Order: sequence, then C-alpha cells, then structure tokens
Amino acid sequence: MSLQKCFEIILKYWPSFLLGIRTTLIVAISGTAIGLVIGLFVGGIRAIRLDKTSPVSLKLFKRFIDAVLKVYIEVFRGTPMMVQAVFIYYLVYTNIVHWDKMVAAIFVISINTGAYMAEIVRSGIQAVDPGQNEAGRSLGMSSGQTMMNVVLPQAIRNAFPAIGNELIVNIKDSSVLMIISITELMFQSNSIAGTTYRFTETYFVTAMIYLALTSISSVVLSRIERKLNHTRTSLPQSDTNAHSMAIARKGADYADN
Amino acid sequence: MPIIEVRNVRKSFDGMGVLRDICFDVEKGEVVCLIGPSGSGKSTMLRCINLLEDIDAGKITVLSEDISAIRDINAYRRRVGMVFQQFNLFANKNVLDNCILAQMKVLKKDRKSAQETAMEQLKKVGMADFAKAYPSTLSGGQKQRVAIARALCMEPEIMLFDEPTSALDPEMVGEVLSVIRDLANEDMTMVIVTHEMAFAKEVADKVVFMDNGIILEEGSPEEIFNDPKNERTRQFLSRVIKKEFVS
Repeated sequence: MSLQKCFEIILKYWPSFLLGIRTTLIVAISGTAIGLVIGLFVGGIRAIRLDKTSPVSLKLFKRFIDAVLKVYIEVFRGTPMMVQAVFIYYLVYTNIVHWDKMVAAIFVISINTGAYMAEIVRSGIQAVDPGQNEAGRSLGMSSGQTMMNVVLPQAIRNAFPAIGNELIVNIKDSSVLMIISITELMFQSNSIAGTTYRFTETYFVTAMIYLALTSISSVVLSRIERKLNHTRTSLPQSDTNAHSMAIARKGADYADN
Repeated sequence: MPIIEVRNVRKSFDGMGVLRDICFDVEKGEVVCLIGPSGSGKSTMLRCINLLEDIDAGKITVLSEDISAIRDINAYRRRVGMVFQQFNLFANKNVLDNCILAQMKVLKKDRKSAQETAMEQLKKVGMADFAKAYPSTLSGGQKQRVAIARALCMEPEIMLFDEPTSALDPEMVGEVLSVIRDLANEDMTMVIVTHEMAFAKEVADKVVFMDNGIILEEGSPEEIFNDPKNERTRQFLSRVIKKEFVS
C-alpha cells in the first residue's frame, strides 16, 4: 500500500467520496433522529406503570401493547440490519409500492435504531429517582404529564451518552445499506475500488473518512452533553449556600478570638 | 366531622404487617404529629392518605370522601399537598418553574398568574431571590422550603409532611420548621411525621405515638410528652429526648 496512491485516489475521486459522505450522513443522522422519536414513544409507553385504580380494559390494552412492543424490539435487535434492509426493501417493492431506495434505507435504519433507542430510553427513565414521579403525582399531575414534563427530560439527559453512541454506530453501520445500492460511502468506495483496482488504498481512505466522521460527531455530541448539563453544578453545596457560608464565617470569627 | 378519618387501616409489604389496625382523626385546622421509632409505619400511613400506597383493609375518609373509591386521583391529590423527606424538587426545572408547572398543568392557569402565585409563596418561605436557581445549587433547607412553597401553590386544604427535616443538616432544620410553624399559625390542617420532639411539642394540637404498626398512645402534647401512659412511649421519649439533650 502506498500513501501516494491514496492521495491520487482522493484527488481523482473526491466528488464520489463527497457524494458518499453526504448520503451516509443523511441516512445516519435522520435514522438516529427518527429512531430517537420511535424510542421515546416505545420506551416511554413501556415504562408507564398504570395506577391500580385504572379500568381493567386499559390494563389489558397496556399489556397487549407491551407485548407487541417487546416483539418489535426483540426482532429488530435480534436480526442483522443488512437482512432487515433487503427483506423490507423487496417486501414493499414487490407487494406494495416501487419505493425510493433512499426512503427505504432511512426507514430501515430508523426502525432498527428505534428498537435500541427504546431500551436506552426505558433504562434512562428507570434511572430517574422515583421521588420525581411521586412529587409530580402528589401535585395532582397525571402520569402522562409527569412523564412528559419531569421524568422524560431527565431520562434523556441521563441517557444522552448512549443516545449519542447510536449516531456513531449508525454512521458506521449504515455501510451495510449498500446492499440495497444507495450511494452511501461504502457503495461509492466499492465502485472506486472496482475502477482503480487499488483495493487497499481505496478502503484505507474510506476507513479514514469514517474515522473522521465519527470523531467529529464525538466532539459535537460532548459539546451538546455539556449544554444539557447546565442544570447540574459541580460547585460544592457549602459554597453556594449563603446560610452555611454565614455559619462558616462565624466559625472563623470564633477561631480568631 | 373530622377532615381526615382513618379507620382500622391495615397494610402489609410482602407479608410484613406495616400498619396493623390504625385509627385516628384529624379535625379541620388541626396539626397532628405522628411520632415513633423508625419502621413503625408513620411514613406509610402518610403515603396511604395521599394514595401513594394502597391500603389492604380499613377505610380512610378525607374531605368527606372514601379515598379508596375515588375516581379522579389527580383532583384529589391537588387538594392534599405533600412534602417529602428527600424534597423531590424537579431536577430539570428551576425554582420558579418547579412552582408553576403543576399550576399550569392541573389548575390550567396561564403562566403569568401561576408566576404571581409562585412568587407570593416563595416570598413567604424566603426563597423569592432564588427563583431562577436550579435545585442542585440549593442547600437542603432551601430545597425543602421550595418544596413547601410548591405544594402551597396548589392551594391545598391539607398538608402532609413526611419527615421534612430528617435529611437536613442540623443547622438547616430551624429554617424549615419555622416555615411549617407559620403554616400552623394560619390554621392549615397538617399531618406531620417527625423526629423533632421539641417541635412536635410546640406546634401539635395532637400527638400520635406509633410503634410497630399500631397506635400505642395519642393525646395532647402535654399528655404525651409530660405524662405518657404507655411504657413503650415513655421508653422511646426518654431515649430520643436524652439524645436531643446531648447534641
């Protein structure tokens, strides 16, 4: 492998790489975003605990929904995304509608991510102090209102590192979607390698591009995480509390005398 | 008719009887302190009144309603404020937003009038200057005062306090107790679970001594603290009061 060849490939084929990067980012980012929305719904519903006074019909309905969601999560976590992609793409293509490959790709990556996000959101919700829920309920808010306004925002903040991790996973794993021939980075790399016969160099460049994309994402994600944590403070309690400061000062005066 | 009427209440967790045949009354405007050793069921009793726990047997009547038959739990809880040992301020909201959230969601107030009520209540507990602060920057005593203001914003008819000072550093207990004392002077009906015997003696109209899931003795603070009838009460009081004396 020669680095010089790598540069030659970049110089000659950069528009193809760029197109690939664009498609990869579109698929990965929209897939993560839609997946998060799916995850919030699925994980949120799964985390709801009905009151004992709820009507029996509602309890049964909740049980049924829980079972359906559990199956969804198990199926999509338990099968490879590559298989999901070809199966769903052809299933819809031959039986329902001749759909766009990009739409299919975003659809597949979204519901796949949704299954993982659901579990992330659910564990995030369960990590929120139950006292937060009790406080909301004791003020007369419904479980839905408490969930939306108090518990879920904290759950998202708790789970943010795991949520961000899904974006990084998706940037890399969207490469398997080349199986339905969308023009993402891996697909473009295959065609470049096929044209130049420089397999090692081409895929080295590809790997470096993926690494750059994921590194940039990491930096952006940790910035967002810091912003989200503005309601937390690292200051010691005693320094933020005028009352205990006063007592500390009094103590100092006493020592001086 | 008493505003809270507890009759033959039983409750067990995993076969362990936590409340075993509890009966007591709270009159309107009365301050009742529940005292007793840890694990005696005081907090569970309080949580049952706010429907955070279900009772296994017996009957609790609050504001002339049998609460186990209540359809709209949320409407009921709005009328019965609760203050927790661990404060439970909403960690994702600042002090002011903690106080207006339920007003807007439950009472359907607009933001402006909710804010007015909130600031009024915060002023009362001396926390108005901290309206924009997040709970994580407050001391325990400050958090608890905000929690009390938050509950009062809903204009409850009854306030329940579950060991409001037990999680506080000793020097912060006073500020919280003085807020509760002010409430007592305004004739708010209150049930307070507490380990602060001097405070119970001072504010309570009635003291209820619980041990091991049953009420051993109840009466005026003078009766309970100066002349306890029950041997177990005497033992408990001598132990805790001696401790208070030492510290």
